[in-house]
Amino acid sequence: MEITFTREAKEFRNQIMAVEGAEKLMHCYQCGTCTSDCPIAKRVPEFRPRRIARLAMYGQKERLFEGDLLYLCAGCYTCYEHCPQEVHVSEIVSALRKTALDEGHLLPGFKALMQSVAEMGYIYEIDEFENEMREDDDLPPAPEPDTDGIEAIMAATGFLDKVEASRR
Amino acid sequence: MKYAFFVGCTTLSRLPGYEKSARKVAEKLGVELLDMPGSGCCGTTYLETLDHKTALAMAARNIAIAEEMGLDIVTVCNGCTEVLTKTNKELKGNPELKAEINEVLAEAGKKYMGTVEVKHYVKMLKDDVGLDAIKEKMERSLSGLKVGSHYGCHMFKPAEVMEGEDPENPTVMDELVALTGAEPIEYPNKLECCAGPVMGVRENVTWSVGLDKVKTVKKYGDTLATACPFCYLTFERCQLMEEESPGLPVIHLPQLLGLAMGLDADDVGLGHNKVDAKGILEKLR
Repeated sequence: MEITFTREAKEFRNQIMAVEGAEKLMHCYQCGTCTSDCPIAKRVPEFRPRRIARLAMYGQKERLFEGDLLYLCAGCYTCYEHCPQEVHVSEIVSALRKTALDEGHLLPGFKALMQSVAEMGYIYEIDEFENEMREDDDLPPAPEPDTDGIEAIMAATGFLDKVEASRR
Repeated sequence: MKYAFFVGCTTLSRLPGYEKSARKVAEKLGVELLDMPGSGCCGTTYLETLDHKTALAMAARNIAIAEEMGLDIVTVCNGCTEVLTKTNKELKGNPELKAEINEVLAEAGKKYMGTVEVKHYVKMLKDDVGLDAIKEKMERSLSGLKVGSHYGCHMFKPAEVMEGEDPENPTVMDELVALTGAEPIEYPNKLECCAGPVMGVRENVTWSVGLDKVKTVKKYGDTLATACPFCYLTFERCQLMEEESPGLPVIHLPQLLGLAMGLDADDVGLGHNKVDAKGILEKLR
């Protein structure tokens, strides 16, 4: 597919690079170290960290925001550690996820997870049932999270509103 | 020795064998692990990719609880370790950011001060208890058992934040395995990620990564040892998904340590391991 580098595309690139951790995007010289070491790239043909860096350099928002692409990074930091240019593609992916959320996009699974944390204080329900199981193992009851406090924190930063309003 | 014990959602609700063995082994070593009242999710490693400030505040809230207890934090999850360590470091080094986060934390009636440290359980064992002191507590040997350790990504990565060991050549888990009399083994792709974090995005990718490792370790060893709930679940579940499971026992590192310290199978919750790990007991002498 032909890549057109429009003014909007350049603005999008700048938007990505303004996110903390993504400042060195333009240092990428496409060596592909990130991709050869990526555990996901070995199994998912369309997930190529080098390709993500390149698409970001050309501000190709639609292609980057397509499907579940941005959420396939396992965050293993292998590319982060190995990048000879300290571009840190994992951080580019994070910057893209943040930008996507700012624009109203979040993978439904991630949305549900964040809502669970806000509601229950844990990523799973840990309630009477779980505590009975714990008791059978002589384990103390799980700490009871301050759910009001947690929800207040997630709301105070504006994050919860963004999550609630998000769609794929 | 006393610590605030941050167990983490997944271990609390899914892996009693891990938590039980970690607590019992600590007890044997005279280490007190105290529960953290009001603590909850660390924020998850996902949250830091979605919103920096919220991620810092969520983690800082938990750290603040340990500060109230006046104790350093010990964790048993690589994800929690990374999230809490990263936050702690960033806030300690940036007073302006700390003030900004404290404004958010005020919503939950908490204040982050920057007075405690965070460390993974295995690091606590090696650095604070010490390998010699642990060795003295060994009552039995797992001699003849070949153990492949899986470190998991966030124990030492990103290196500039996590420090401690070279993420390309970590040793702590193998050193602890060796104390049990078992043989720590090398195997190809030892440092590859478990891909647990994409389980909820494309499950099949996670199972593929998991099975590759399981099959490799099976070729060279008898069991796969982990020190992270997500890694453990990946390597266990990927086998349960197979029609013909490779049948490689996956074991929490404290379970191995506990057995060698004389604890019985029930003490270390071995019955909870879904790929039958009882064969390991036959090696004890």
